[in-house]
Amino acid sequence: MSALSASPANTAVAGAKAPVVVESSPAQYLTFLLGGEMFAVGILNIKEIIEYGAVTEIPMVPPFIRGVINLRGAVVPVIDLASRFGGKRSEISRRTCIVIIELTENDERQDIGVVVDAVSEVLEIPVSEIEPPPSFGARIRADFIKGMGKVNGKFVILLEVDKVLSVDEISSLSRIATEGVDTVTGGTPAA
Amino acid sequence: MDELKQVFLQESNEQLDALETLLLELENRPDDETTLNGIFRAAHTIKGAAGMVECAAVESFAHVVENVLDRLRNHEIAVTTKLAALMLGCTDHLRVLVANEAGVAQVTIEWIEGQSARLLTELGEYGPGGQVFATPKASESGVERIPSNRSGHNCWHISVRFGPDVLRQGMDPENFLRFLETLGNIQHMETLADVMPPAAEMDPELCYLGFEISLESSVDKQAIEDIFAFVRDECRLSILPPNSKVADYIELIESLPEDSLRLGEILVRVGALTADELAEGLRSQAVPAGAEPPETLQIGEILVAQQVVQPELVAAAVAKQAQVSEKKAQDAKLIRVPADKLDHLINLVGELVIAGAATSLLAHTRRDGELIESSSLLTRLVEEIRDASLQLRTVQIGETFNRFHRLVRDACKDLGKEVELVIGGGETELDKSIVEKIGDPLMHLVRNSLDHGIESPAVREAAGKDPRGTLTLNACHDAGNIVIEVADDGAGLNRDKILAKAIERGLVEPEAHLSDREVFDLIFAPGLSTADQVTNLSGRGVGMDVVRRNLQALRGTITVDSSAGHGTRLTLRLPLTLAIIDGFLVVSGNRSYVIPLDAVVECIERPASEHNRNYFNLRGQVLPSVCLRESFGLPGERPARESVVVVQYAGQRAGIVVDRLAGELQAVIKPLGAIFRHIQGIGGSTILGSGEVALILDISALIKISGQAEQRLIARPELRNA
Repeated sequence: MSALSASPANTAVAGAKAPVVVESSPAQYLTFLLGGEMFAVGILNIKEIIEYGAVTEIPMVPPFIRGVINLRGAVVPVIDLASRFGGKRSEISRRTCIVIIELTENDERQDIGVVVDAVSEVLEIPVSEIEPPPSFGARIRADFIKGMGKVNGKFVILLEVDKVLSVDEISSLSRIATEGVDTVTGGTPAA
Repeated sequence: MDELKQVFLQESNEQLDALETLLLELENRPDDETTLNGIFRAAHTIKGAAGMVECAAVESFAHVVENVLDRLRNHEIAVTTKLAALMLGCTDHLRVLVANEAGVAQVTIEWIEGQSARLLTELGEYGPGGQVFATPKASESGVERIPSNRSGHNCWHISVRFGPDVLRQGMDPENFLRFLETLGNIQHMETLADVMPPAAEMDPELCYLGFEISLESSVDKQAIEDIFAFVRDECRLSILPPNSKVADYIELIESLPEDSLRLGEILVRVGALTADELAEGLRSQAVPAGAEPPETLQIGEILVAQQVVQPELVAAAVAKQAQVSEKKAQDAKLIRVPADKLDHLINLVGELVIAGAATSLLAHTRRDGELIESSSLLTRLVEEIRDASLQLRTVQIGETFNRFHRLVRDACKDLGKEVELVIGGGETELDKSIVEKIGDPLMHLVRNSLDHGIESPAVREAAGKDPRGTLTLNACHDAGNIVIEVADDGAGLNRDKILAKAIERGLVEPEAHLSDREVFDLIFAPGLSTADQVTNLSGRGVGMDVVRRNLQALRGTITVDSSAGHGTRLTLRLPLTLAIIDGFLVVSGNRSYVIPLDAVVECIERPASEHNRNYFNLRGQVLPSVCLRESFGLPGERPARESVVVVQYAGQRAGIVVDRLAGELQAVIKPLGAIFRHIQGIGGSTILGSGEVALILDISALIKISGQAEQRLIARPELRNA
């Protein structure tokens, strides 16, 4: 085991060998591009990666909810990560993908799709190569970051998926968006 | 054994439900024999079944209850309100005991035992206990004839002829008789000495005596026979159960599980016959069978001839046999299916509907006549399968309603009110999963009505109303929904009080002007209770918001109507099913939406002259309408010709303006998931034949939010151009 993780981080090889290395701590990450920045999520949460297409928009929700897709008969919500991080929505290109992530929150399993600009590769990042998140400067909420992984001398932001895709938080945000309508709360106009 | 217990638990709960219903009935008609017998039968069945699966706790408690019921039935004691209440308490306790046996009781063993002890003491007042011991023990005076001081119909008849060798074997008949006394009272005994030879020929070592004994005892036949176990081979013994016991046996026979048993086995099973007696009977049946085949006696006839059972019992057992074989035939028509298998089936049917839609779409795009024809046949069949499989899950709501009889009765006793529960539309069918989830909210509403709604008889009389209040539970179908009404003729909601409370709690601004309906809607706000006192039943202000939340989880709504002094009506609307609906597909801004077909009244073209207004002239009536494009902020230009779908909801009509109509479809409802739980105006989603996800509109919410959006624009015009 130690021999393997100490081997030079030739990424292509590491990716190919991925299924062999089964460790209790998720040392393998899927990296992807979002607005020119490199992000990564642990592969254990990832169900599949599909091509972007046929997203049905949902009216009256915050812009970072792109809509829903039909994933082999199940309706799965799709989140625009760039917008969730406070930026603009991702431009859809030929390489745009939806990464389907399985979450467990409050004992309920929920699949959520996230839109990314391009999927790169599966990397193995040893724990020793992960730095704690910076208190500021990453331009996304600190609690969204699990750590900063070092890959080939560059930093990759490892995302805290449970926080980024927190069902509770997203649903309350969409409630605020819809309930400009509510007379009791009043106030927030639904544009 | 476990399976047997499962059946026992289920059946005893059914019996307990029956028992409860009958007890409530008995309260109203204390002299009704049929009801009384029904009650007795239910209690007896529970006891018998408990005995069979060796649930001693249930059995022994049921036994005491049964004793009291027996006395009731024999008119030894009268039906009183107190007794009825006690009996209901006992029913509850039996339920707890049964639940405990199943390991699902939510109380401690100590509590159960305490409760048992308390109820048993109370039952003791009515039980036969005291009286039995009070009757004089008459048998001690001697072995000669003892006059019976009772009618004897409660006595076992034991007839024993000791064999001549009994004394030689060291057994004294007197000992058996004394031992018999330990089981109960010997009411009457006759010594038969007719085989006694003249004194000269008499052998003092031989026994010539026979006895006819009337024994009052509550033990079973086997116990009596066991007394004579040592001399069983040496004597002729026949034990006839008491007449009252015969009825018990007959009932027990009727309540036996539906196994196919032989006649003898049935009798042994209920204890009317012991195994030894049966064996003997069968032996004597075998002998004549060899000799004179045509005149073979039926085992029943033999047993009667041998005086071991009464003819009535045999008749009952024979009837039971016939019933069993009949029931067998019926069983084939009724199958118990685990709910998850049904759910799986419904899911598969859902997928089938979607796949079928895809096929028929393909056929239409290919313009292949034969394929279109065969796919339309397929579609029709799929529709039938869908309806049939959804039918499997529907149940009538009446059963849920009937449970409230007890609640109303108990609450009335507690509150000192008189309320009549009127139930209507009990035959209305709805999905079982909805029925299960609606019980609690309904209970809250009924309790509220009883506690806050209906006034005490004195107040009612002072107001010139019938002192007896009426609570109505009603159910019906309306536009693809189930409508359930809980209405009372009580005092109605106090508008000012609710408003004052709401202002006090900061739920509304003091200067706000609210319509009656808006004020009444405040009762669903968390923490708001208009009751001055917190009672056992309600008043803590936690009920109504929970009710509303539960209903919303079922895609249902609740509305309140109330008029001061005349009562309150709560109307619950629930979807018919949670799985598949008939929908009407519309397209707006290139997006597909589904309107539940049951809500659609008609479709019209939007008159060009009324392009900029959100209301139309529909055959002389004003039709307010919602433009989907505006409400949902859809991109693109409005087409030159638009269509209006006229929908009806809760008696209200409205138009929905869409780009174009795309026809009917079957929509398999796919929940949107937790992320969208707060979304308004969208009821769910479905997958079209093309694979595209279409949103299902929630018409009432859509109309509501459009109305509110308009109100806001009027109040704050600066938003209009935002």
